[in-house]
Formats: sequence, structure tokens, C-alpha cells
Amino acid sequence: MPFGKMLWCCIGTISMSLPLAAQNPPAVIPDTTSAINSRQPLSQRVVAYDIDAKYDPSSHSLEATEILTYHNLTGQPLDTFPFHLYLNGFQPKATWVREVRQSGTRDEDLDDWKAKFYGAGDIKSFEVVGQGDLTSQLQFIQPDDGNKDDRTVVQVRLAKPVPPAGFVQFKIKFHDQFPETLARTGWKRDFLLAGQWFPKVGVWWHGAWNCHQFHATTEFFADFGVYDVRITIPQNQVVGASGIQVSEVNNADGTKTLTYHGDDIHDFAWTASPHYKVLDDEFQSSLGTVKLHIMMQPAHWSQAARHALILKQSLDHFERWYGPYPYKTLTMVDPEAGSAAGGMEYPTFITGETTWWVPGGLLLPELVVEHEFGHQYWYGMVATNEFEDAWMDEGINSYTEVKVLDSIAGKNTSILNQWGIRAGERQEQRRGYIGAANLDPIAQDAWKYYSFGSYGGITYGKTASVLLTLESIIGEDTMQKSMRTYFMRYRFTHPTKEDFLKTIEEVSGKDLRWYFNQAIYGSQLFDYEVLRIDSSPTDWYKEGIKEKKGETEYTSVVWIHRKSDFVFPVEVQIKFDNQESVREHWDGRDRWIKYTYQKRAKILSAEIDPDHKILLDRNEFDNSHTEKAHKAPARKLTNYWTFLNQLFSQVLAWFMV
Amino acid sequence: MKGTKSLLAAGARIAGRNERYVIWFYLLNLVLACFGAAAFSNQAHAILDHSLYAGKLLHGFDIVVLIELITRPEFGPAEAWLWPAFDLAILFFLATMLLLPGVLLGYASDNRLPRGEFYHACGQNIWRFVRLFLFFALIAGPISGILGGAQNALVKAADQSSNERLPFLVQLACMGIIFLVLTAIRIWFDLAQIQVVVADQGKVRKSIASAYRGVKGYRIRLLGTYVSIAILAGVVLLAGIWIWIRIVPAASLATAFVMGQAILLLLLAARFWQRACAVAFYRDYMTAITVERETIPSASLPVIALVDEGGPAPLPQT
Repeated sequence: MPFGKMLWCCIGTISMSLPLAAQNPPAVIPDTTSAINSRQPLSQRVVAYDIDAKYDPSSHSLEATEILTYHNLTGQPLDTFPFHLYLNGFQPKATWVREVRQSGTRDEDLDDWKAKFYGAGDIKSFEVVGQGDLTSQLQFIQPDDGNKDDRTVVQVRLAKPVPPAGFVQFKIKFHDQFPETLARTGWKRDFLLAGQWFPKVGVWWHGAWNCHQFHATTEFFADFGVYDVRITIPQNQVVGASGIQVSEVNNADGTKTLTYHGDDIHDFAWTASPHYKVLDDEFQSSLGTVKLHIMMQPAHWSQAARHALILKQSLDHFERWYGPYPYKTLTMVDPEAGSAAGGMEYPTFITGETTWWVPGGLLLPELVVEHEFGHQYWYGMVATNEFEDAWMDEGINSYTEVKVLDSIAGKNTSILNQWGIRAGERQEQRRGYIGAANLDPIAQDAWKYYSFGSYGGITYGKTASVLLTLESIIGEDTMQKSMRTYFMRYRFTHPTKEDFLKTIEEVSGKDLRWYFNQAIYGSQLFDYEVLRIDSSPTDWYKEGIKEKKGETEYTSVVWIHRKSDFVFPVEVQIKFDNQESVREHWDGRDRWIKYTYQKRAKILSAEIDPDHKILLDRNEFDNSHTEKAHKAPARKLTNYWTFLNQLFSQVLAWFMV
Repeated sequence: MKGTKSLLAAGARIAGRNERYVIWFYLLNLVLACFGAAAFSNQAHAILDHSLYAGKLLHGFDIVVLIELITRPEFGPAEAWLWPAFDLAILFFLATMLLLPGVLLGYASDNRLPRGEFYHACGQNIWRFVRLFLFFALIAGPISGILGGAQNALVKAADQSSNERLPFLVQLACMGIIFLVLTAIRIWFDLAQIQVVVADQGKVRKSIASAYRGVKGYRIRLLGTYVSIAILAGVVLLAGIWIWIRIVPAASLATAFVMGQAILLLLLAARFWQRACAVAFYRDYMTAITVERETIPSASLPVIALVDEGGPAPLPQT
């Protein structure tokens, strides 16, 4: 480190920490490791949050004091600091609400605005230790859309910059009004999911502050650090939170104070409800014991074991395939029914989603739990920018979700295997993508997608399909090695999309730009078809020719067509009626290709991608063509449809006449 | 209970004696449904017949592939295959309304109803049945609306509870009540239909009023009869589908077709059984109604015994 920087560092550290010693936590980032199975900190800790919060369930509001210690590792003096106030997104003129009304969201439709949807994170006072009260200096900014009514990012300019390597401490008093859950955070009846509930500093990334507004399609981005959180709440509440629980003390006023501590995490969420039933379990990872804290709704208690099992299976698969889970706890929350808080991830804390009637063959609870657990890796530890690279958490996670669920429940049955009906997660991811295939590229800011549907289809479905298809190019084992290398190399950092793509190229030893440019950066459509097959006697011109199987020579032709603009090499398998099978490899560069054969056999069928490794093709039905029509599948569906028609007619007539 | 049993038995005898009506209606429904499903079938054949990917639908049933199929642009908009099905269902409903008078007359006859009389009854009562349907709609529509609204309000209120099952249970209970109320109305109008046909009552309002009076005192019995048959039909439907799923091999089209059609035939028979029970009740228990027979189409027609509430009267010989 240059001498100048060291000097700044020392001055900064001393000047910021001295006045605080008596009443505040020291202005350093603690190197505690009590919440992780490691003797050393795992991340470059930039922040330390010390929060004292008191929650009032009757008003769904919270009063809190936050002391945030920030370590300036940017290499330059910092005089402005932006903070997220996510709860302000739940206001009628906020960008989040505006976008939900325009493009939809994953949870509630906002047809009507109701007072109970209102949420707010109000800063009551803002003090920079050593620089005095700067509450009046706070300024809301709207870096993404200029919506002056959006108050989800607030910025403060300091009188004295924080030197490189120096520390600064913010003392913030704030009041939260939680909304009835519209998405991810808030209350429902007497349940609370407190996510994104405290003022959270932005991330200095690539030479600038990265602190986006809260959008309908975006999630979060934050620096790693240490969290010490004290929650005071009525004694009848059952509480779960990120990190480890340090203590629980009953107070004389009927409340209790629970203290939590988290190491090497970048967010802190908690939940409370008087109804939770808790199952505690354990998983032995290679680094130590992971305590599983499973908080179920009473109506779902019979599914607690299902949730525990899928958590342990997920932990096991991720550890073997990608790397170890280093935290000492993992809390799985089954949120209140209808709360729109299901299927969400926070560090060491996830929410599942189930219903009381879900049958054993419908694996939606498993799917949600596995997916959210996967985010412990892709977002939790490999902390990508969820605003700008949503595909790197949701998409990569969808890919690993397919791999893990395939392994656990089978390729074609990983979602549903009940009453003879099947559904597999890989096909479901692909289905999500083909519905939005031509609208957006993968690599773009999450709030710039055409619609929520496009965001979902591309970010989740297309990314998963792209990575599954990539296996056909570099091999499944190499892909798994790439993922492991990526995880181990970039855990506890903020990698970019190029970090990910270059890792795959490095591990595979292949230049994959041709693929990434189309699949990740482009919006080319992938669509191949067997255009035509034909077999006719070679001596067709001879009079009185009689065709005899095995004797007559046929000239057979197969035309393969690239219908759209995504160029990709494909295998083609041609089967003949003498049991012979031929495989062709086409680079896909021309618009079509013709294969001609002269054999004493007719073509039975031609099929593109016979091993079914390509998930990007938006129409699988025309990827094969049989010489003979096989009417059974259509007849089967027609039978079902006719049955339903008859049933509907009879039910209608039953009551009406 | 004894009365319900005897009514069920009497209805079963009548329906069994005239099982051809069930077969006709079943065949009519099948033919109409085949037409209704033609658009769907054509689209499915066009996409699936030469595709190996279609095997996922034949050997097992991959729901994702099905969704992919029906959302393909070349499969056409959903309206293209939904509307024909809906239109043909309406046609079946109209055909039922048209042909039902003949069926009811046949049920009320001790002997096999000649074809000419069957169609005569159909033609003679067509507008009466249309008017009866309009009255039915006028009564059942608002009541269903009110009950549906109450159901929504109750379910919404139940949704405030932390008991996740409560909204479902409330919904189930409300649906049960709505079903009972609609069944009661259906019984009322079934009897009115019978009176219109059998007593050749041109003024449907009179038939509705006398059917209302006729039901009085026998509501529970009639409701018990109808609900018993409906429950049996529900059991047949569920058990049939269960057997279809569990036993019929995924790729066995013929067995699946037979299984499905057997279920539908039994369901249809259940409804005809209900009507036959209503005819039996009408013959045996309807209160004294002044019926002015304008014409007697045939000597084979029965003379309906009109009795006091006190009990059944012996049927006079024709």
C-alpha cells in the first residue's frame, strides 16, 4: 500500500473511531467468525450494521436505530453515500408501483390501491459520527428513471470525505411502516416478513456508486459485512432471522429482545408470527455442522419433514458439485398463506411456499426450497449485481436448480409425478423461455425488460436453457467443473458477467464467444426444423417397377432448415427401415442443408438433436419428421378433449334443463 | 328414507324400461362433442403426427409438452378450438330441451312410446320448454348470483383467518349449499316440465305454480332422491377417472376411450334416473291439480292419477 494511502487510512481510522468509543460500537469492522464454520472471515468486509429495532405488531411498524460502520476500500476519498430505502417502493407514485401497474409483477396485481399496501422507511435522524447531524442534508435521488416521486434512494454528502481505507460511522434513527405484503416484504394478518427493512448503503463498484432505485423486477445488491441485530417484540411471537441467535431476554413489559449475529453476509431479514411450529435439524457439511431451522405454518406441519429433506439434499448436492456451505445456520420459513412472501432468499434465510393440500407427487414445495437455497450460492455468496445482472443469480440458480432436481427426482418428473401426469423442471424452464424468446437479450438491466413476463422468461428460463444447452458443447462434466471453479473463485465477491463467461471458457479451454454473443448478449432466435424427408426408388423411371423391401434401391433425401438467426451446430439422426441409423453433423451456417443417401432402405425418420441436449430450440415438434404418420398422440389428446367437451355439455344440461 | 328408496326404485324401473333415451342422448352428445373437438383434433394431428417429440404425450403424459403444444402459434388461438366446443355444448343443451318432452312422455307411459308421439310431444312442447327455461333462469339466476356473492364474501372473510384450510372449507360448504338450492329449483322445474308434458298444460306458469305446490311436504324426500343420485354420479366420475389413471395403460387409446365413454354414459344415466324419479313422484304424489287435457295424442298415453297429499292413489287402468 502506498505511504499516502496508509496515512489516510490511519488518520481516517483514528479520527472516526475515537469519539465513538464510549457509546457506539468501535468504528472498525469486526473480524468475528461465530456465525460461520471458519476461523477467518470469508469476505472482504466493507460494512458492519448494528441495529436495535422494536416492532409493534398492532401497527405493523418498527422503530430502530442503526449504526453503520463503513470501511472505505475504494482506494479514493468518498464524500457522498447513497442509501437504499426499499420500503418506500410501496407508495402509489413510486417507481416500483408504477412499473407493477405497467408490466406486472410476480405476486400481487395492483388493480386498486389500498391504504394497507403503503410502506415506508422514514429516516428520523441521520448523524455522521464526528460530523454531526446531517438529516437536513439528505436528498432523494432517482438515478434510473428520474421519477421525482420515487424515494427509494437517498443520498448524503459529507462535509469531510472519508479517506481511502478509512472508516465512517453513520447513526441512523428510522421508522418502518410495513405494507401488507405485495412482494417479498411486509405483513399478512399477524405474520411479518421483514426484508429490506433498514437503510442500506450502496455498493462502490467499478469506480462509482451502484445504488439503483427499487424496481418491480429488481432485487438487491450490497456489500459483505457483519450484522448485529437486536429485535424487541411481544413475547408470543416466534422469530427467525439471518445469522445465529445469540440471546433471548424477556423484558418486563411483555416483550422480549432477541439478538442475532451474522458474519460475511450482505443482508439481514427476519420473520415473526405467533403461529410458527419449528423443526430443528442438522446437516454435516465438510466445514462443520449446519443447523437447520425450519419454521412451518401449523397447517403445513405434516410437510416439515419434506422441507427438511429437500434442504439437506440441496446442501449435499451443492457441496459436492459447487463448494461447501460455510454458514452455521440456515433458516427456512414457510410464510403465512396468501402473503406474497414465499419464494424469497436472504443470506442464511429463505422462504418456501406450499399449501395444505399439496400431494406427494407435486414437488412445488421442493422446487421452491431448492431454488431459494440455491440463492445462498448464486447471490448469497457469489454476490452478483441483481439490478444489472439478474440472470447471474436467477438464471444461474435456475440452471443449478434443474441439475439438482433432475438428480433428486428425475429429469421428466422433477415437478410433477402424480396421477400419471408428469412435468420436469428443465422443460418448464424451457417453456418459460420460449414464451418470451424474441423480446429481450439476457444481458441487460433487470428493469429494462419489456414486461415482467419477459424478465421472468429470459432471466430464469432462457438462462437455464442456455446453460443446459452449453453442456452439449463443452460436456456436462466440464460445465460442472466450470461452475465449481466460478463459485470457489468468486464467492464473497461481486463478479461480473464476463467473470462468469470467461471462467467457463477457461475451464473448457474453448472459445465460446460465438455462443455467448448470440445466447447471452443477443436476442437471436433458435429454431431448426426437419423441412422434408423423401425416399423414392432410384430406378423410378423404369416401367413396371415393383418395390420390394430390402431389394429396391431408394434415393433418400433429408432437408434440414435453420428457420431463424441463431447459428448453432447440430447433430441429425436419420433412421432407415432396415434398422440402419446415420448421424450427421451440421454446422448450421447455411440456411439449410440436404443429405442424400442411396440405400436399399427407405427413410423412417430424421431427427435434429437426437440426444435432446439442446433446450434453446423454440419448437421441438418440428425437430423431427417421421415418414409415416403416427396418429396415436393426437388421438389420445382428442379423446381427452372430446371427453371434456361431453362432460361440460352434460353438466350444463344437468342443471339448465 | 323408505320413501326415498321407493322413489329411487320406481325411477330406476322407469329409466331402465326406457334406457334407449339415455343411449340416444349419449350418442347425440358424443357426435356433437366429436364435431366440437374437430378443430382441436385437426391442429393436434397437423403438429404431432410426424413428430417424434409427440411420444412424450403418448407414453405417459407430460403436461409441459401439452402446454407447449397448445401455445404454439401454429396450433391457433385458443378461441379457435374452445369456441366450437362451447358452441356444440350449447347445441346439446338446446337439443336436450327440444327432445326432453318426448322423453318425459315416454317415462310417463306404461308402454313403449311410439316414435310419432315422441316427436309430437317434442314439437308440441318446444315453446313451453323455452318459457320454462326462461322462468328457471329468472329464478335460478338471481338466486345463484346472490348465493355466489355471499360465498365470495364469506370466503373473503374466512381468508382473514390464519387457518389456511378455513377459506377452502367455507367454499366447499357454500358450494354444497348452492348445489342443494339449485337442485331444489331443478326438482321444482323438473316437475313443472313433467306436468307441462303429461297434463298437456299450455300455461307454464300454472305448471310452475302447481309443481311448487306439489313439492311442498316432499322437499326432503325429493331432495334426498336427487342428491343421492348426484352423489352416486360424483362417485362414478371420481372412481372412473381414478381407474382410468391407475389401470388404463397410457398408450392404450381404445381402452381409454371406452373408459371415458362409460363414465359419461353413467353420468347421463344418473340425470335420466333423476328425471324418472320425478316422473314417478309426479304419478304417485302430486297434489290435486286441475288439468284440462286439451287433446289426448294417443290411447297409449297414461292417465295420470291426481291425488291428495294424503298418499298415492291407485293408477286407473287405461
